[in-house]
Amino acid sequence: MTKKVIFGISVAVNIILAIVLLALIPGAVSELHFEYVEQETIRPDSIRSYLDRENFGTVAALSRAIRGGATVAQEDEEYYRLGEYAELRFLHEVYAKAGNTDTAGQCEERISAIRDELPGYAEVLDEIDKSVADAVIK
Amino acid sequence: MKCISCGAEIGLTDKVCAHCGRVITENAGYRSNMDHYRADSAGTKKKVREIIAENIPIVISAGVMILLLIAVGVVAYVKENAYSFREDAARRESVRQYGSYSAIMQDYLDAGDYTGFSAFEECHSIAEWEEPYSDLKLLVDMAEDYTSLVSAVEEAVMFGPDARRYDPEADISDCRRAIWNFYFEFECNLSDIDADPYREYIYDMKAKADTILEVYLGLDEAGRNEYFAESDIKQTAYLEEVLMHD
Repeated sequence: MTKKVIFGISVAVNIILAIVLLALIPGAVSELHFEYVEQETIRPDSIRSYLDRENFGTVAALSRAIRGGATVAQEDEEYYRLGEYAELRFLHEVYAKAGNTDTAGQCEERISAIRDELPGYAEVLDEIDKSVADAVIK
Repeated sequence: MKCISCGAEIGLTDKVCAHCGRVITENAGYRSNMDHYRADSAGTKKKVREIIAENIPIVISAGVMILLLIAVGVVAYVKENAYSFREDAARRESVRQYGSYSAIMQDYLDAGDYTGFSAFEECHSIAEWEEPYSDLKLLVDMAEDYTSLVSAVEEAVMFGPDARRYDPEADISDCRRAIWNFYFEFECNLSDIDADPYREYIYDMKAKADTILEVYLGLDEAGRNEYFAESDIKQTAYLEEVLMHD
């Protein structure tokens, strides 16, 4: 094998390696990018789907991260707020029954604030209220 | 060597003695050999330089290949392990923020908001199994089980009048399992709970779970005792009866 052939092969291999490297770098950089607080980016579609299906309990469970301070994209925030509302309505009944009046009061304040923040979703919020009222065993 | 005329020290390649000026003939053969060797050496060096010049592109290409292979390996490793790197970084940050995070978690606990506490702990990558959060370990474990119970009951009871549920029976089955799991873990860890610095919150968590069962599943204290004494099948049957009503 002549030196020219060896050199040609090595250049070809280098070009392939360079292409592989260039293809890997953006993915690696993107994978490494993060914030210290969890970012919720996957669930909005699921939340919307469960909202459409009126499965409010699932919406509440899927949205819980926002109650722990997770950051969400601005355009998805209202869906998470609906879930937060559903969870707070569910828990409010528990706190009220358990005699945690302070926490129940805080829940009411937040519930009222979310209603004010989401005027376009009054109908959904009413349905959530009704679902909780129906779920409570009389 | 020494000059045979004056005895002064002279070099092996000197042609004349620096001291007495005598022409040195004894080292003529050595000098001739040296000239020959130098000529040979120059030729060899020239040949070596030619070979090196000829191979420089291949050597450079091989060097570039080695560097590219290392770079591809490093980038692939980083990409593959990015999740661990992120988790480690987030954990280190949670340790740096121990003071502020502890205060926030305490607020959740004081409010009895254990699902919020669990969500905060998860979102902020709190490593409860190592310092400085290790005293939270049992509390975090119980809060996770409590959160699973809350999620399961929510999913089983909260839906609209025109709801299209994927699988109500599965929801009820999950609900039974989550309830069983929380109470089982509570009973199993009772001695550890009693020795835990956060026991009052874990007991409050249990009281909240009792209230959830009472409010949404109609199980007061007597009902709970009866429910937990039943088999899995009868527990599921009870939940179906309560939750599948129109």
